[in-house]
Amino acid sequence: MLEIKSVSKSFGELHVLKDVNLNVAKGEVVCIIGPSGSGKSTLLRCMNFISPPDSGEIVFDKVSWRSYRSKFNVLANLRYEKKLPQLRAEIGMVFQHFNVFPHMTTLENVSLGLQKVRKIKKDEAKQVATKSLEQVGLSDKLQVYPDQLSGGQKQRVAIARALALNPKVMLFDEVTSALDPELVSGILDEIRRLVREGMTMIIVTHEMKFAFQVAHRIVFMDQGKIVQVGTPAEIRNTQEPRAKAFLSSILE
Amino acid sequence: MDKYDFSWRIIQENLPELINGLIITLQISVAGMAFALLFGLFFATLRFSQYRILNIVSNSIVQVGRSLPLFVLLFWIYYGLSLKFKINFTDFQAGALALGITGGAYMAEVFRGGITAIDKGQSDAAFAIGLNRMQTSRLIVLPQAIRIILPQTVNIYVGLLKGATIVSVIGVADMIYVAQYVSLETFRPFELYSFAGVVFIALTLSVASFAWLLERQLSGKSRRG
Repeated sequence: MLEIKSVSKSFGELHVLKDVNLNVAKGEVVCIIGPSGSGKSTLLRCMNFISPPDSGEIVFDKVSWRSYRSKFNVLANLRYEKKLPQLRAEIGMVFQHFNVFPHMTTLENVSLGLQKVRKIKKDEAKQVATKSLEQVGLSDKLQVYPDQLSGGQKQRVAIARALALNPKVMLFDEVTSALDPELVSGILDEIRRLVREGMTMIIVTHEMKFAFQVAHRIVFMDQGKIVQVGTPAEIRNTQEPRAKAFLSSILE
Repeated sequence: MDKYDFSWRIIQENLPELINGLIITLQISVAGMAFALLFGLFFATLRFSQYRILNIVSNSIVQVGRSLPLFVLLFWIYYGLSLKFKINFTDFQAGALALGITGGAYMAEVFRGGITAIDKGQSDAAFAIGLNRMQTSRLIVLPQAIRIILPQTVNIYVGLLKGATIVSVIGVADMIYVAQYVSLETFRPFELYSFAGVVFIALTLSVASFAWLLERQLSGKSRRG
């Protein structure tokens, strides 16, 4: 369903991703682990071109997407820019810092994409958004602005916002890292619910126990490269030195 | 030194003209501010463009616009363009345009500051749900930037309001022009200019309190989360 083909990206001199390849099948849950600065988040952000890759290709639902930018042909750039939202609307993404829109109520946060991207009428969009918020347990917070929500609640809004668009893949970018410890398990439970529903997901996380529980496959990244891919059992018993060192440092 | 007798009657007698002048001052400053908002938004947008050349062009225009004395700008537009290129503006148009360019240069910086103050995560999230660039600016970034932009915009408007008095040099009958004109006949410049000064204080205060109300309104409805 989602193929990453020799994706590379650098920020100036820093090569963040070096020729990364990964295939994710429909219904699969892939967790990406690795030390910070290994390029996990950047890889995730390349998948929906929030940070476009410098080279390489993303194949989503049999359609190939590449970065495009002409130095001279402004119109072609605009045409390309205009196509990207189609891809992004099919891929839900949840961020470490929630990124809920502070000037909108919970309900508006979730119904915005339905109205502007899916072009659903306002009333119907509100219904769908309400349902989506109910599923994450926020039915009593519909008219509340984000500054009155806890971190966990904000993250639930962000999850509902992504799910309301009925995406084919969900990307989770360290979604519990900014949460108070007691709120972490609630968000992980939301993701577990999606696992049960068979959602295709790519999850960047530092929650090792969780990753080994839910993942069908685990990807270990280091220094911009995928070092090893395997089932949780394979990774747990890895003999690859860097993966082994990382896991033993974390699973103390 | 002789004793100076204030004669405030002079204000009363010339009140209609002075009020007319005030109205022209207001009109020209509002027209100037409208230009300033347009120019400012336009040049700020160019500053964020992915094309380096547009960044440089916009940056240069903003720098020059900020450096030029309003007086010089006004002369260029009103006399210079007319003499050299046969582009003729009325005195009112020239005044509004000059104010617009100066104000626009400042507004470009204000817009840029407001926009960069918004966390990049906001536009990331907007893109991630499939909004395009225009929608992201209009629905997500600008509404949040406005609360940062508004107080500085009011400052710039107050500046333009005072700057608007300079159009008297090209013969626009604004309040200063009227005060000057009447004092030539009556030898009462002190009363007339003081009156103008008090009116400007009142204007500035009302603009500032309007902005304060607006700001409170905005922050009440939507706080940062």
